[in-house]
Parts: sequence; structure tokens; C-alpha cells
Amino acid sequence: MPVPLALRDWQAAFAADLIGDAPGAGKRLAIHRHHVASSLARALAVTFPTVEALVGADFFRQAARAFAAQDPPTQPVLAEYGAGFADFLAAHAPAQGLPYLADMARLDWALNAAFHSSRGLRLTAEGLSILPAGRLATLSLRLAPGTALVCSRYPIDEIWRASQPDAPDEAVDLARGAARLLVLRRADDAAFVALDAGEAVFVVALGEGRSLEAAAGAAAGSDACFDLSRAFARLIGCEVFAAMQQ
Amino acid sequence: MKAAVAGVGLRAPHLAAIDRERPAAGLLEIHAENYLCESPALATVERLRGDYDFSIHAVGLSLGSADGLDTAHLARVAALVKRLQPALVSDHLAWSTSGGRYFNDLLPLPYTEEALEVVVANVQRLQDALGRSVAVENPSGYLAVAQSTLSEPAFLAELARRSGCSLLLDANNIHVTAHNLGLDPGSWLDGLPAEAIAEFHLAGHAVNQADGETILIDDHGSAVSDGVWALFAECVRRFGPRPTLVEWDTDIPALAVLFDEARRAERLLAEEDARAARAA
Repeated sequence: MPVPLALRDWQAAFAADLIGDAPGAGKRLAIHRHHVASSLARALAVTFPTVEALVGADFFRQAARAFAAQDPPTQPVLAEYGAGFADFLAAHAPAQGLPYLADMARLDWALNAAFHSSRGLRLTAEGLSILPAGRLATLSLRLAPGTALVCSRYPIDEIWRASQPDAPDEAVDLARGAARLLVLRRADDAAFVALDAGEAVFVVALGEGRSLEAAAGAAAGSDACFDLSRAFARLIGCEVFAAMQQ
Repeated sequence: MKAAVAGVGLRAPHLAAIDRERPAAGLLEIHAENYLCESPALATVERLRGDYDFSIHAVGLSLGSADGLDTAHLARVAALVKRLQPALVSDHLAWSTSGGRYFNDLLPLPYTEEALEVVVANVQRLQDALGRSVAVENPSGYLAVAQSTLSEPAFLAELARRSGCSLLLDANNIHVTAHNLGLDPGSWLDGLPAEAIAEFHLAGHAVNQADGETILIDDHGSAVSDGVWALFAECVRRFGPRPTLVEWDTDIPALAVLFDEARRAERLLAEEDARAARAA
């Protein structure tokens, strides 16, 4: 009588059958194969809704299944699965007709990550007002959890708006140019605001831990129109910064 | 909590409506894996805790994994349970992780003594991490594993006896498994200890025809079928009323449809309660 396989080996063999495409595996195993592939594609559609809206359900399902086959999840929280999907789309031959698709995936991913981030306490105008005068310039601020900058050569903010379920059917002019989008975790959702070139450099520098003064210098160096007080007030209004530790 | 209560699986499309309208429900279920991040959805559930009892139903602990439980995932689930203090905690008699890859499916186990020891150890580790007993649910079966030496109910009964866990009976899964594997659902119930059963689940399934064969697929995408209602009634008659959840995860209907199903379940539980009281 053959010795039964130890459970770990048995599961490894079952897993290999599951991800393989051997036709002899039987139609009952095919039920599990189908569920694994289709449920991961559905999970990716939840995380990348704008990509799905742009390419359609069938194209998305095929791309998502191909991605999941080469980069499967390693843990069960599927809201955290798909970090590599944008890079996958950038190299995915059937998607080459949509040059902004990978950037849209980056925006969807950043929005998803922001939605699943801690709201935490944010730095407000009142929080700043208690700082001693002169302290502000040398301050290093921390970006709040979920904050991310997504940049594209294409107007992905307009494409994103045009792809929403209730959007009017209007064409987006790709020649409108680059977008620099600051993604935020708000109290009840995630959203983005468009930044100008100087504001984007400013946020990146602050995110790297540089002082307000140094970040403003970098922003002014790249954008002659940069207005520190206007940019800073705007970011404080968006509650981009984590509250300072007391 | 009372035994004769029924509720629904709370899914993302209904979260805002439940928060706004606060309809009466004996129990609400969330999937653990959807609430392990600090999202606004988790904030909503924390608000709802004052008005509802919760069931935290995990789908990804992989209690059947020979690799053991994922330490990081276990810690996150334990933190959620500590935070929400739910009435019930459960996962499935299945595995979904092997060699570090997560399959997002409830995969079948060979029902052997070795597998029993693995599941008992994993359930005990889970219960130790949570500081409480959990319920383990019977999965939907599509293929009979040739190596099995125990029946599924015998495996479940022994798991409960050795680990101290309770059992969650999903009437739809029993119906689907019995059909797909050619078993008699009544005999399936025979081997189960009533005192171990803590909870019932109900859901819809799809009927697939392939190569002249009918296979039932547990897709949680339709109303509970007549056959499953009958099997649920049989479970309630045999084991007594238990907290019951109606789950609907694909093609999710209007909240009213879902609540109608829960009320039907609750009527059935109340009738058994009344019958038992008359008999006593």
C-alpha cells in the first residue's frame, strides 16, 4: 500500500495543479482554478476601477489574470494586492495603445492605498498658530498617512473624471499635458487635487524631510512663479500634514 | 446573544445605508480580511457596534495549511477582534495558502488523522491568539479527496472535541457538497454533536451544467434555494436555534431583499423556539 503524501507535500502538489494548465487535472479541479483566477481578477477590479472603466471588463479580466499568474498575492488582504499592476500594464503588449494606462493604475493604486490608510490627526492652521515665531522656517513636517504624489505626462485627472460612472460623454484632449496629482486620505474617502509644478516639488521636498525653508527654495528653483504662502496655505487646507508631536 | 436571531453579511455596497437607516438586525457579519486596514469602512463598523452584534468571519486564515498560520496575518486578525469585540469569530475548514502563495479560495483537505492534527494545532493557535473559542465552518466541496479516511462531519466533530472550537454549519455548503459528492445531507448531519454547533449560515448557489453533469457552485449570488431552506429547517429541528447569517457576495441585491431572507430565517428559528418551549 502506498504511503500517503504528507499534508505539506500534498498541498504543494495540489497548488501546482491549481496554477498549471494540465488538461488531465479534471473538471472538478477546474472549478477551483476558475475561482482562484476570477476572484483575483475581481479583487483587482475593485482596486483599479478606473483602469477597468478605460479598457472594459473583458480586457481588464484578461490583463488581471495574466498579472495574477505572474505576480500572485502572498497574503489574504486583497486591498493590499496589486502593487506591481501599474508596472505590469506599462509592459503589457495589448495595452500599448493607451499610453496613460499605467499612470492611471498608479493613481488608482494611490487612491486605494490612501483609502486604507489611517486618518490620524492632521496639522491644521490652529496647530500652526501655536508655534513660536521664527520656528516655522526650520520646521520639518511629515506627510499624513496615505498622502502620495502621482505624476503623468498625460492629463490623468481629466481622464479619471471622464471615466467615472456618471461622467458626461466628453473626449479628453491628451495634448492638455502633464498632471501632478496629490492623493489624500480625507475623513470619509480618498481624493486627489491637482498641483502646479512648484507645489509638486515643494511637497516632494517636504516628504523627504527637508525644512519648509529648504523645500520652498527647491520649489522656487524649479518654478519661478512659486508662491510659498499660497502653496503652504493650500496644503494646510487639504490637511496634507500629520499633526506635530507635542 | 440569543440563539433565535438572524442577520446578514454586511458588504461594502450597503455600509452607508445601514449606517444611515440602522434597520433592525440580530447580527451583522463582516469579513475580517476587509477590515484590517484603517479605512473609513472600519470607522463605520466601529460606529455600528453600539447598535448591532457582529460576527467576524475570516476567509484567509488558512486553518488547513500544513505550513501553519501566517503569524503577521494572525496578529492583524487578533487586533481586529480585540478592537471590535464581536459576538462570534469564525473561519473555514479549508486551506488557501501554500508555499507563501495565497490562492483566495477555500481549498479541500484530505480528511486524515494527519490533517486533523494540523487543523487542531492551527485552531488552537488561533484561539490562543484571540483568547476565545472560534467556530469552524464546513466548506463547499467539489472534489472528493481520495486519501480521506474520515467523513467531513466526523472530521469536524473530532476537531471540535480536540480543539474546543465550535462548529458553524453552512446549510448551503452542506447542500452543495452533498450534491457534488453524491452524499445524503441527512446522514451528513447524523455525525455532528449538537452542543458544538454555534452558528448557521445560509446563501445561494449557482447550478452549472457541464458534460451532462450538474454541479452546484457556492457563489453567494442568489436567493437561498428551497432545498437549502428545507435543510436549514432540518438543522434547526435537530440541533436547536442558533444565530444565523444570510450571505450574499456577488450580484448583491437591495438591502430589503437581503433582510427579507434574514427575517424568513428568524421566523424559522422562532418557530423552533416555540415548539421546544411547548414540548418542555
